[in-house]
Amino acid sequence: MSETLTNEITLTRKDFVSDQTVRWCPGCGDYSILAQVQRVMPELGVEKEKIVFISGIGCSSRFPYYMDTYGIHSIHGRAPTLATGLAIANPDLNIWVVTGDGDGLSIGGNHLIHALRRNVNMKIILFNNRIYGLTKGQASPTSRVGKVTKSTPMGTIESPVNPISLALAAEATFVARSIDSNPQHLAEVLSKAAAHKGTAFVEVYQNCVIFNPDEWNALSDRTNRDEVTLNLEHGMPLIFGKDKDKGIRMRGFTPEVVSLADVSLDEILVHDATSKPLASILGSMENPEYPAPMGVIRDVRKPTYAAGIMEQIAQAKAKRGVGDLNKLYRNDDLWTVSAREENQSEMAGELPLTLDEEYLDELGRAAVETTPVQDQLTEENVSALNPKVPITVDAGSSLSRAIRQMNRHNIGCLIVTDEEDRLSGIFTERDVLMRVTGLVDDLAHAAIGDYMTPNPIALKADPPIAQALHLMSLHGFRHLPLVDEENRPTGVISFRDVVEYLNRSLA
Amino acid sequence: MSLESELRSERVSHLRLSGFTAVPAGTSVRDALGRMRSERNTVCLITKERSLTGIFTERDVLRKVVDVADVLDGPIDAVMTADPISVGPDASAASALGLMDKHHIRNLPVVDASGQVVGSMTHMAVIEWLAAHYPVEVLNRPYDPERFPRKAEGG
Ligand SMILES: Cc1ncc(C[n+]2csc(CCOP(=O)(O)OP(=O)(O)O)c2C)c(N)n1
Ligand code: SF4
Ligand SMILES: [Mg+2]
Repeated sequence: MSETLTNEITLTRKDFVSDQTVRWCPGCGDYSILAQVQRVMPELGVEKEKIVFISGIGCSSRFPYYMDTYGIHSIHGRAPTLATGLAIANPDLNIWVVTGDGDGLSIGGNHLIHALRRNVNMKIILFNNRIYGLTKGQASPTSRVGKVTKSTPMGTIESPVNPISLALAAEATFVARSIDSNPQHLAEVLSKAAAHKGTAFVEVYQNCVIFNPDEWNALSDRTNRDEVTLNLEHGMPLIFGKDKDKGIRMRGFTPEVVSLADVSLDEILVHDATSKPLASILGSMENPEYPAPMGVIRDVRKPTYAAGIMEQIAQAKAKRGVGDLNKLYRNDDLWTVSAREENQSEMAGELPLTLDEEYLDELGRAAVETTPVQDQLTEENVSALNPKVPITVDAGSSLSRAIRQMNRHNIGCLIVTDEEDRLSGIFTERDVLMRVTGLVDDLAHAAIGDYMTPNPIALKADPPIAQALHLMSLHGFRHLPLVDEENRPTGVISFRDVVEYLNRSLA
Repeated sequence: MSLESELRSERVSHLRLSGFTAVPAGTSVRDALGRMRSERNTVCLITKERSLTGIFTERDVLRKVVDVADVLDGPIDAVMTADPISVGPDASAASALGLMDKHHIRNLPVVDASGQVVGSMTHMAVIEWLAAHYPVEVLNRPYDPERFPRKAEGG
């Protein structure tokens, strides 16, 4: 039985989490994007060894360290270029480029444009925080006119680039947009990008909590975001609003927002991801004048760059035979470079690793007003939730015993421990539904170890309540075990405990 | 602002509701379980002439099915909870949460005016709402707090 089970298990999100310390500032939107990429990866059904993340330079470009796949932290702005080479050299690879608004649109603007127009088979995620984060807050090509930054003390006088319009102008075959604060939407868009053959370009609005914290407030505010976002669905009318009471229609060459109370549905534009003119219109619709279009703006099929090259190589070989690279190199214009005596380097030494004054200033900035809910989430720890005493069993326990125990205690989750009482697995009522009921004939002779989730994620050392919520929302977990320093279970919390606690203590 | 007052201004239909498996009354427990598994849902709603007549959840599987003889091939009607509590899509999220607490239920079907079930509200909807509402606090945290950088350094 355990054999058939292991066959079913493919990769999980955990397999894509690397052992590197994530160096982004707490609260940075990059965390959310990382989590969603890690969530989508297992769905690709591609071995980790065939996946590569390539980035340039910037906070966002630290991404490859945090993915447990192949990765290249490359040259500023040149990630699409390296990726192009890789895609041609090994068309089997699943290639992802991670870039920022500075990396991809300033220094790397040209590289990005040409990768897009070539339709190289790769996915490009552009983290748009409208600022240079890594270099501590200078204006970027996407900063709004008038934006005061370190490099534009009187406000920038340059018009911003619209990444979507730029990608469309470069003939990108897949163009989409999402936002860090809507993880479900982001995950959907990333899966669609992953499925695209050719270059998929995804702009993700990302919050830089340190240097540009208010940039996406309107679009992130959960209570209001549906009023200012236009969620695109191929074949569906362009309707938006919390109560789906507004739509987009054309007036001459200009889209306009209308109320569905006044205008019939027939007049509302219907999204067609294959239409180039519509894509241009959607790309040009900027918030706050319009709701921000989110989702897949363009999705068309064209031959990929590598396929075109392979075809030409095959044709050339058929006509002129296999070439000889050495002969080509030795053709003419050759000379020998002889070694010169070098002075010993004076550069040997260590980089100073002191804390950056400038950065401390930013952290010391006037504190943002927080609500009681926010304070509660970050200042109260999970021990305040009164975790339940864990009911533990060992992995050899029979399913029938385990189920009796769950029913006796009226609980939905058992903690499985090893010989040294350390956490080794978790077995929940979901497992009873998904893997046991009607599937296992003899409950008395089946061991819980074969049906549990091994090595579950656990909370250590009493973290803030927000950490528990984070893991629950990320993984859809309903229960989280708490463990001590030795990984011995000390309690269990359920999401009901969290909601009840917040409700009670804030009433 | 308290959590409750924030949730009061949010309608149930604005939350991310969970999916459900729908089967007609009289379906065998075995078939319902198969559907729940393949659709990856933990709640099954039972309907008769399109109107909601019962609910069957993973907790019911644990309590009334897995270790109980002779129910698998019987009708789902025998193990479901009949006439479940439900709310309309315009109910406030706070009142829905209140109902769930009061009746100790974890799945609250949301039924529109025409009797159509539009989803099932669970505590997960509240968790996801909180995560989206407070991205800086909840969403954007390091995966493992033990590997939290000692020095925040923009990159
Ligand atoms: C050749 C070169 N020029 C300039 C820099 C300085 N530099 C480092 S990152 C960066 C821009 C980063 O901005 P963005 O791509 O938006 O990344 P973010 O940090 O905002 O994620 C610049 C200009 C550099 N490292 N190398
Ligand atoms: S400086 Fe901004 S973009 Fe960079 S890690 Fe910090 S919050 Fe994120
Ligand atoms: Mg940036």
